[in-house]
Amino acid sequence: MSAAAQIALQNAINGLLIGGTYATVAVGFSLVWGILNVINIAHGALVMLGAYVTYWLFTLYHIDPLLSLPLTGALLFALGYPLQRIVINQVVRASFFITFLLTFGLELLITNLALAAWTADIRSVTTSYSGWSVALGPIALPVVRIVSLLIALLTAAALQLVMTRTRLGGAIRATASDQEAARLMGIPIAHVYALTFAIAAATAGIAGSLISLSFPIFPAMGAGYTLIAFVTCVLGGLGSVPGALLGGLLLGLLQTYAASWLGPNFDNIIAFSVLILVLLVRPAGLLGRAQRFRG
Amino acid sequence: MPRVTARGLGGPAGAILAAAALAAALLLPSVAGTYYIRVVTGIFMFGMLASGWNIVGGYTGYPDFGAAAFIGIGAYTTGILMSRVHLPFAAALPAGGILSIAAAVAMGSVLLRLRGHYFAVATLGFMIVLQQLASNLDVTGGGSGMNLPPVRSFTTFYYWMLAGLVVAVAVGFVLPRSRVGYAIAAIRENQDAAQVLGISPLPYKVLAYATSAFFFGIGGGIYAYWFTFIDPPTVFNIDFTIQAVVMTIFGGPGTAFGPLAGAVILKSLDVVLTNISIFLHNVFFGALVCLLVIFAPRGLAEIFQARGGLIEAIRTEVRENRI
Repeated sequence: MSAAAQIALQNAINGLLIGGTYATVAVGFSLVWGILNVINIAHGALVMLGAYVTYWLFTLYHIDPLLSLPLTGALLFALGYPLQRIVINQVVRASFFITFLLTFGLELLITNLALAAWTADIRSVTTSYSGWSVALGPIALPVVRIVSLLIALLTAAALQLVMTRTRLGGAIRATASDQEAARLMGIPIAHVYALTFAIAAATAGIAGSLISLSFPIFPAMGAGYTLIAFVTCVLGGLGSVPGALLGGLLLGLLQTYAASWLGPNFDNIIAFSVLILVLLVRPAGLLGRAQRFRG
Repeated sequence: MPRVTARGLGGPAGAILAAAALAAALLLPSVAGTYYIRVVTGIFMFGMLASGWNIVGGYTGYPDFGAAAFIGIGAYTTGILMSRVHLPFAAALPAGGILSIAAAVAMGSVLLRLRGHYFAVATLGFMIVLQQLASNLDVTGGGSGMNLPPVRSFTTFYYWMLAGLVVAVAVGFVLPRSRVGYAIAAIRENQDAAQVLGISPLPYKVLAYATSAFFFGIGGGIYAYWFTFIDPPTVFNIDFTIQAVVMTIFGGPGTAFGPLAGAVILKSLDVVLTNISIFLHNVFFGALVCLLVIFAPRGLAEIFQARGGLIEAIRTEVRENRI
């Protein structure tokens, strides 16, 4: 294998591995957007909280990040439910600007409370297996990233099963397609909305755990992940789990290739260019149905 | 104060009040100490930003969440022209304003085709991109930022900000009374209907976006020279946008004097809170945004003017939006 081909292949592997994490970040964001019609700017802040839960469980109680994963998900679920039920439900029927602004305020609140509690110090979770990597011929496969990708795929599969095979998933989809009809069928809308948001928060927490394994943690880290979630959703198509997965993997590939050509400091520029391009060329995303996006 | 100015400025009483306020503002530096001049300069700055944001976010109904992009453009243009080309401030500042307009026209003709959420996040992304670009370029000094020539008198900035504020408020006052203002209002209320009536939406939206960008560019330029040091995170800072948005909503979006009233009240409160704790400032703004959009999404002016009293007005707002 030539050196150029080897680099290209290594980039493809790295891109897919990071893309799995992007998909986990995006899948909950996509759910909330598609079902509740709320752009949750605080989604990245929930990812940050997930990362910090993992960090503190690991640092204070020496619980392995992979073991604490379900606990992190459960904690974020428990935070997400009242957040939607008590706060966001108050404005969920208002114009998008109001819900957008509310989640913006929540982001500001969560991030700055985190800043006050944990300072701006950049932290990381370093486990005994953090540096391990498997050599596959000339290609290096970091163990942590592979595990992250597997968990990302499992999370997406589980969410897809919940959405398509359970009564709860049916209720959520019914609410999304016609709120009034769903209410008449006896579906408790406020409860379904809160559950949807709680599920999204749980996936954000899991994404935070995965991120803490390979990336630095700090209170303001969330904003970048909200942007990634948004781009991933637009790329893959809104409100669908396979769309988020495809969008995440594609964005991971694009950013990894772009980083190897342009240097590592252009990731946001690439993500934004992709966003604008997709919005102008195929606004429904790769797997989405056509809607009104232009104005 | 917001009610008096917002209601009465059509008539002679309002004109007298505005003239008196302006005269007081012009005379203040001769009586106040340096600390208060600085505080009031800050209030003027946010009054200008909020009034500028109101043009695109309030009158046109396109919530620009990346307005701080133009703070950065104005600040860096002014900074680069002053410290690298050695232009005087009076020449560098307008260049920052003009470049903001140019950037807004270029980006706006693409972004303003997007609707709602997409526009909001795309503008936010635009700001994040410029921040990253400023950190990567050489001419901006990269991540380590750049210094501007030192300043002799802080009163200069007071008058520059006051001038910017007066122009911004004047634009907000004249706009809804002009032909362009009618077109913009029609686009905000129903774009498709406006189009049927022969209004081509995009040029009007770009005009509003560029006007708003101009005030952010000017604000950024004055800010840069005032603080003499800029780096990417301080000028391409979401904080500027969010404060302008909150002040506009607090005072009443789509009104001429609401944003200024919001800026005066909230910035004064903010100064007090910052003196108590630096963290409190952002936590406060976060909490305020949440409470405001839940209890008074159409601004405090609307609540106070509503019939049936304050509590009833708040109840109606909440009942309409919740499930």
